[in-house]
Amino acid sequence: MSAASLATMSADPMPGPPGQDARFEAYVVPELEILYRVAQSITRNPTDAEDLVQDTLIRAYRAIERFDGRYPRAWLLTIMRNAQINRVRRKRPELMRDPDETMARVADESPDGADAESQLMDQEFEAPIEDALAALPEKFRKVVELVDLNQLSYQEAADALGIPVGTVMSRLHRARRNIRQHLEASRIEEI
Amino acid sequence: MPNKTMSCRDVALRLQTYLDGELDQDRMDSIERHLAACVDCGLEAEVFTSIKNDLASHVKPVNSAALQRLRDFSNQIASAAEADG
Ligand SMILES: [Zn+2]
Repeated sequence: MSAASLATMSADPMPGPPGQDARFEAYVVPELEILYRVAQSITRNPTDAEDLVQDTLIRAYRAIERFDGRYPRAWLLTIMRNAQINRVRRKRPELMRDPDETMARVADESPDGADAESQLMDQEFEAPIEDALAALPEKFRKVVELVDLNQLSYQEAADALGIPVGTVMSRLHRARRNIRQHLEASRIEEI
Repeated sequence: MPNKTMSCRDVALRLQTYLDGELDQDRMDSIERHLAACVDCGLEAEVFTSIKNDLASHVKPVNSAALQRLRDFSNQIASAAEADG
């Protein structure tokens, strides 16, 4: 935004919200990275994640004039959740594919061979905590990824997943107890 | 030392929510006091704090090319809408 347009805005006698583009810039653009991270957790696929964020951005732009400006992240995550429901409906049972196939597809979609290789290297030197995270059932792992890795609040995670806050809490707490057990078990194996 | 208003069981039930900073201020304060006074609960809190920190440190950097494409896309949305009038 130019200094001139800022000056115009602040000189505006009407206390209403600034224009659509300015609001989009102020509320949506700062959340792009977290939206992409959450989309990756939800879709488990980089290409789908990018598509999902694009859908979310379009919906957010259309709705921005009705947005009250409070908790933009929670607002965007709710939009993303709705966009995802829509995508799953459109996409037929393809999304129900088994996890092995999903992994193969992610590997196919890696930009080049070197990347696939470095992913393999990552796996070889996987830290115990990553091992413990990977061992969690999907719905538990998602909550841990959103709250502990991506630092979402309980409410934001609930909005992103379309589940009650209480469910976020119970899944998260149980997941951490599982992680703890996993870590303790792997320490015993080492001895 | 202030008296322990919360039992170890109460603390165990709320410990993770406490560590996530998601309790109301009164409860945050009473758990904090309990943890300072009770060795067992204090150790339990340490275990879960270290798991939280360990998880947070394993967040992978986001693909910068993808992020840039999303930034460009955001700009396009705004300018396309302007062109439409
Ligand atoms: Zn105690």
